[in-house]
Amino acid sequence: MTTKDRSFSRGSRKTYNLVEIVKSPTTMKDRGPENTIFAFPIVAILELALALGSTLFLILFSLLKDAPLEELANPLITTDPAKAPWYFMGLQEMLEHMHPTLAGIILPGVAVAFLISIPFIDYSKENAGVWFSTAYGKKIVGWTALYTVISMTGFVLLDNAFPPRELLRDVLPNLITQSVIPGSVMTFLVVLPVLVLMRTKKEKPTAREVMLVLFTVLFFTGVVLTLTGFLFRGPGFELYLPWAMPNGYNPLDGL
Amino acid sequence: MKNLLANLWEKIVTSRPWKATFRYGLPNNPLDRSLIMTESLFFHLHPVKVNKKSIKPLYSMGLGIITTVMFIILSITGIFLMFYYVPSTELAYFDIVKLQTKVPFGQLLRNMHRWGAHAMVLTAILHMVRVFYTGAYKPPREINWIIGVFLLLATFIGSFTGYLLPWDQLAFWAITVGTSVATYEPLMGKTIQKILLGGPEVGQASLTRFYGLHVMVVPAVLFILIAFHLWRVRKDGGLAANEIPDEMEAENDN
Ligand code: HEM
Repeated sequence: MTTKDRSFSRGSRKTYNLVEIVKSPTTMKDRGPENTIFAFPIVAILELALALGSTLFLILFSLLKDAPLEELANPLITTDPAKAPWYFMGLQEMLEHMHPTLAGIILPGVAVAFLISIPFIDYSKENAGVWFSTAYGKKIVGWTALYTVISMTGFVLLDNAFPPRELLRDVLPNLITQSVIPGSVMTFLVVLPVLVLMRTKKEKPTAREVMLVLFTVLFFTGVVLTLTGFLFRGPGFELYLPWAMPNGYNPLDGL
Repeated sequence: MKNLLANLWEKIVTSRPWKATFRYGLPNNPLDRSLIMTESLFFHLHPVKVNKKSIKPLYSMGLGIITTVMFIILSITGIFLMFYYVPSTELAYFDIVKLQTKVPFGQLLRNMHRWGAHAMVLTAILHMVRVFYTGAYKPPREINWIIGVFLLLATFIGSFTGYLLPWDQLAFWAITVGTSVATYEPLMGKTIQKILLGGPEVGQASLTRFYGLHVMVVPAVLFILIAFHLWRVRKDGGLAANEIPDEMEAENDN
């Protein structure tokens, strides 16, 4: 008898046995009891420790740093810059680079629709529960992350230096300069790494690999835009280094 | 002395009140360790025995649990904040000032609620990133992934609606900027913003609406979604790490 076939011994005080036909997948299919531990007390203690640890951390942080409170709200005095909470700064940053409908409605809508559709595009069960699925997957994520950070930072800086909306205002209609151009640039930046994946891999890439590329682009684009808006935008919503903001503005005060 | 303690323990765990409450003996043997699970609420979260792979710290990094803990802390500190706060444009700001300067531990209370909220948004995002990269959205966990997406959106809305409540310059202008994004929706944008703010700009009507959403609607939605989410984790066979066949595990360990 291999270890795989061994089953639990009948409990001494148990006078019955539960028998059930289980369709795979199930947690215990192909697995022996030696890979399991009791949920009580081991898992319970680990979870309690995690809960107490994070609570303690929050209390300590709250003792060290006070929540900000500015002057009483005054609709007549605009703050400069006026920023949304940090998790919306990616959105606000995009508003600087393209038509508001594209930045504020269409692209976020596409992002949420993409997130929801991920499990229906990649429905293979292979390698579920394994970080990056395979060694190749890890490589894909690493390179895509590097690519995204560089290309999105480049996009922000270039678009800031040579904004087509202003340079081409009198030459081309607004629809082109505010929506078509930035929309095409964004689409190109997203599609490019997928094309590279198709060219570099001999066989057809799996759905999981394509998802790894697209999600990594989405996540790191979010990180770059959020950090740009949150840390690097100062008075007049201009780009500055976070530690060299004019007028004594400190982006961290706005948390 | 040791004997005395052991005897005392034995007395306690065999006493009627103990048995009425817990229905099992001291969990120092396999049967009682099974009963402690099957007889208690905890069984809704874990099976009696858990696969070792799913509790490796670097697999889930505990991010889902930390997010849940943040939600619980926010609910508790939030109730205390409600004791001291009136959502009126005339009172709100001064209630916060009073809370910070006059109420014992008031500043700590507010700090914990504020930093906890930021932490919850952050850990929910990181949890999603972890779930994605471990491929834990694959069947049969599709629905839990989608519930997760809605949890993330609900977390954003909860944090955003709370942002207005201190009624300071930061709050006022952040919400003004944030809700102006809605107006860019070409068909109903202006209407959506009006519904959100209860008027053309941020004012008392907005504060009333944001308060109602923040202390009642969003927490209720989050509570229901989190309960459903955790129950689904259990129903889907625990964490996806359990799906890794033992042979592969052995390979990885070498
Ligand atoms: C308020 C926000 C959320 C809370 C409180 C929460 C809570 C949890 C908890 C406690 C677990 C157990 C495992 C772990 O700790 O990692 C879990 C697993 C899971 N969550 Fe969440 N979650 C939230 C948001 C999300 C989001 C945004 C997503 C994805 C879009 C998501 C998708 C999943 C999935 C698919 C699992 C199963 C993971 C696996 O099998 O490895 N959750 N969640």
